[in-house]
Amino acid sequence: MSKPFLQIRGIRKEYGPVTAVQDVNLDVAQGEFLTFLGPSGSGKSTTLYILAGFENPTRGDILLNGETLLATPSHKRNIGMVFQRYTLFPHLSVGENIAFPLTVRRRPKAEIDAKVREMLKLVRLEGFEDRKPAQMSGGQQQRVALARALAYDPPVLLMDEPLSALDKKLREEIQYEIRRIHQQTEVTILYVTHDQEEALRLSDRIAVFSKGVIDQIGTGPELYANPATRFVAEFIGDSDFLPCNVVSAANGRAEIAIGDSMTVADVPLHGTASSGSKAALMLRPERLLLSKTRTESGLPVTVSDITFLGNNVHVVTRTSKGNGLSVRLPFGHEAISGLNRGDAVWLRFDAGSAHVFSQ
Amino acid sequence: MASQTETESGAAYAPLRARRPTDFDLTLPALGLLILFFVLPVAILLTRSVTEPQPGLGNYAELLGSSTYLRIFANTFIVSGLVTFVSLLIGFPVAWALAIMPSRIASIVFAILLLSMWTNLLARTYAWMVLLQRTGVINKVLIGIGLIDKPLPLVNNLTGVTIGMTYIMLPFIILPLYGVIRKIDPAILQAAALCGATRWQSLVRVLLPLAMPGMAAGALMVFVMSLGYFVTPALLGGTANMMLAELIAQFVQSLVNWGMGGAAALVLLVVTLALYAVQLRFFGTDRMGGR
Repeated sequence: MSKPFLQIRGIRKEYGPVTAVQDVNLDVAQGEFLTFLGPSGSGKSTTLYILAGFENPTRGDILLNGETLLATPSHKRNIGMVFQRYTLFPHLSVGENIAFPLTVRRRPKAEIDAKVREMLKLVRLEGFEDRKPAQMSGGQQQRVALARALAYDPPVLLMDEPLSALDKKLREEIQYEIRRIHQQTEVTILYVTHDQEEALRLSDRIAVFSKGVIDQIGTGPELYANPATRFVAEFIGDSDFLPCNVVSAANGRAEIAIGDSMTVADVPLHGTASSGSKAALMLRPERLLLSKTRTESGLPVTVSDITFLGNNVHVVTRTSKGNGLSVRLPFGHEAISGLNRGDAVWLRFDAGSAHVFSQ
Repeated sequence: MASQTETESGAAYAPLRARRPTDFDLTLPALGLLILFFVLPVAILLTRSVTEPQPGLGNYAELLGSSTYLRIFANTFIVSGLVTFVSLLIGFPVAWALAIMPSRIASIVFAILLLSMWTNLLARTYAWMVLLQRTGVINKVLIGIGLIDKPLPLVNNLTGVTIGMTYIMLPFIILPLYGVIRKIDPAILQAAALCGATRWQSLVRVLLPLAMPGMAAGALMVFVMSLGYFVTPALLGGTANMMLAELIAQFVQSLVNWGMGGAAALVLLVVTLALYAVQLRFFGTDRMGGR
């Protein structure tokens, strides 16, 4: 990778006694689609607002092509942004909205007209230029907002939960639009969301925010297969946690005991743990194997619920200590046929697919 | 309320009762009051304006044909326009500041605004006379700090009327403007900034157009109220810039000429209604509150 395009260096933001962003460091490559994923209040939006220039960081710096952005006011940063709420200018038509950034830059009329047409084509809203924002659906308004934000060819596009006001079906539709537009324009996008599915669907890389810090940065598969913290494991994909005891730990691997019936060796370990300490074992529902016959290496559990979800079936089980473990199996799997609530079953898993988090 | 009564009484009981009051019935007392105290006097005034001293449109011909009276009409419009303009100029930044300041401070400013509205009009006008006169505080201070050599003529002229009336009218422009500005999503202005708009461009291209309904409502209210204003122009103005209300007062009180007084009042009423119609045409009542 060449020299980083956008660098976020030790950004910290305090509001009185509250620290919203603690110490965020991030390098973004040109043309990358990077998502800030995290619950509300995790500092992801504040970081984005600092990039937009609406907030000044208490400490730290932001470099674009090696030069600091912080000295530049919002209106001179040349950064595009799509907001969570609808922010089209209600008194202007769709065409005038898209033309707005070029009009305030006093570009020649012919150039503006050509750009507005190009942008309308990009977001597939040709023929809508004379409509007023109020005459359009929420999804269409956000597409116009996207066109407006891209009209001046910004080096970076910020998106702050732009789809959170839309219903699920429409959201998915526009997610694909955004992906297509990203591929077509090759603009660098920083995207904020609390929806893991949205983050996985859209991003090249995801930065998981928690309590003002980035817990982990990586591609979707990296975060899923190798979560650095329990928080990331909970946030990306489905997961259940089972209390366990560490028998021995070395080189990032641990041997653990679940209850008194079962030990598993060679499980990836996160954090430090010594022999005898308590830890949490993370298991993914789709990585568990269910067997109706007793096996030596299986964990005995009782089926407490079975839910049919179309292409797969969700089986909720409980251990003898009352911990819940979910298993997801494809519809028609032989292990589910004839399975009833209250049945005793045994769960097995591959040590490499599980993770131990020290407490 | 009417629909609630209907559902509660239910269809089965309806025939047992006498006719229930309809929405129209309920407005009758208010309507009666309006007719008795507003419509009737205006009708009497209209009648007297075309019957006294002799039947016909003589009063109107005299009023609209005389250059003296026409100058008073013109002056009324000039003063009202000037007051409206200055009120907007001062009121907009105040309303904007109120909309963005912390609500605790805003409520204090509102209390001050309303307090001034509830203070007696005469008291406020005399206070301005004291402040603005040749030996008043303002002239003394300006001379004291060496800005001027001799006192400025601030009262008994257009300046005095404009200052006094603007002061009284300001709340009427600030309140509707505040309502409209508060409804504007700050994110829209942030979007304008990121689009590259300077503060000035954001103001002219986004904020002002969005605040337009409130500005129009406030401006019309101030203009119409100013057209009929009497106390402040009478006390702070000079004879050179008499306003219509003063003329009407003169006709009725000094000259006991109800015919001419009525004619002048009706001209004022027609102009006011015409302006109101223009306002409805362009902004409509449903748009008064904002977007």
